[in-house]
Amino acid sequence: MLKVENVKKAFGPVTVLDGVNLTVNPGEVVSILGSSGSGKSTLIRCINGLEKLNAGKITVDDFDVSKPKELAEARKRSGTVFQLFNLYPHMTALQNITLAPIEVLKRPKAEAEAEGRSLLAQVGLGDRADAYPAQLSGGQRQRVGICRALAMKPRYLLLDEVTSALDPEMTSEVLDILAKLAKDGTTMVFVTHEIEFARQISNRIVFLEKGVLLVDLPTEKFFADDGGLAQPRVAQFLSKMRKD
Amino acid sequence: MRFAEFTPYDIVLLLQGLGVTVGLFLITSLIGLVIGVLWGIVRFYRVPVLMQVITFVAEVLKNSPVLVQLFLVFFGVPAFFKLNMTPVSAAVITLSLNTAAFVYVIAVSSIESIGRDQVEAARVFGLSRWQVLRHVIAPQAAAFSIGPLTALLVNQLQVTSLISVIGVLDLAKIGATLNLRTLKPFIVWTAVGILYYLAAKAVASLGAWAEKRLRAHSAFRGL
Repeated sequence: MLKVENVKKAFGPVTVLDGVNLTVNPGEVVSILGSSGSGKSTLIRCINGLEKLNAGKITVDDFDVSKPKELAEARKRSGTVFQLFNLYPHMTALQNITLAPIEVLKRPKAEAEAEGRSLLAQVGLGDRADAYPAQLSGGQRQRVGICRALAMKPRYLLLDEVTSALDPEMTSEVLDILAKLAKDGTTMVFVTHEIEFARQISNRIVFLEKGVLLVDLPTEKFFADDGGLAQPRVAQFLSKMRKD
Repeated sequence: MRFAEFTPYDIVLLLQGLGVTVGLFLITSLIGLVIGVLWGIVRFYRVPVLMQVITFVAEVLKNSPVLVQLFLVFFGVPAFFKLNMTPVSAAVITLSLNTAAFVYVIAVSSIESIGRDQVEAARVFGLSRWQVLRHVIAPQAAAFSIGPLTALLVNQLQVTSLISVIGVLDLAKIGATLNLRTLKPFIVWTAVGILYYLAAKAVASLGAWAEKRLRAHSAFRGL
């Protein structure tokens, strides 16, 4: 279980997360919606230990991310996919994927590579294993980014606006893969602006506003008039997002 | 006879001088690279005290003339500490440390040029600080630093000529000797200059070759 308990985070005088509570059970797909600056990405960065908490507690399968010794375990259990891919430019697609399995999980190289190739094949990049990131399109890069996270066999996949830097065609490339992962029962925390897609794949949707978790509801309920839409801020957000 | 004509043996002398110059250059560059990179790593790990000491030493080395450093090491240090110092050891110590100071600057700026996103991408997958340095930062920093490093080494090769003043028989010293014997400065210094030029050109070509290899992964980086 991934548990966020009363987490507070501020950058100087700016409060970004103000007492956030969230629980993600294995097998769930939880989408996090909210306007820019609402704290969505910061929440992800707190879960994978890239930001220090000011208060509260985050545990990944009972491993506390604010304790350096437990953070390593917590990180083995969560895989992150970044908005801007963050691939290592000096490594091929395959090397990007196998670095952490070989170095962190101490997997034999041949084994890690075989698995990396099969992951690439699953996302339709079987023939691009030896290409460098600079030789790949945005959509292809993000698919490699997803493979890199999956190669660690994470129990929780953290996705931080993974399609925001892509055009609609490339976005659908990536979303197709995420839909497949969701169907296979991968646990995901999905920060996104793709509301329709979030509706299709999520079990639950949470809405973050100015660092406060306003709504945490099952997907159907979130879009129901007496559920999420009863919240004026959510209704306003959804109507704006749907115009385009 | 106060002076004499050139003899075929002078070519051997010049090549010997070139050998001493190139040899000292290679040794001091190697030592300087190792020390400078180690200093850079200390800085990367932000080792307290040691980091401040290194920054101070590097500052002093960068901001004083090599000739002064050379005199200090060759004349000053032996006189003060009552020990023996050969011209070659003084040359090796001075040039190595001087190179190290500049390599340190290049190492620090190259490491800092690697974006935080790269470090974060590796850290979230559980790589240790050392693994991040080794697999993610170092290869990219190497590609970034090879240009300035080549420029530095070409310059350091010329700087070796200073050691002739403390009596090391390098190319410049051989030139001075031949000049005194033949009294034909134009020919002597042209020949010496060409030899330095060729050696520098070799260093530059080697650097260009290394740069091309290290940056093979990203054609766009050359913009």
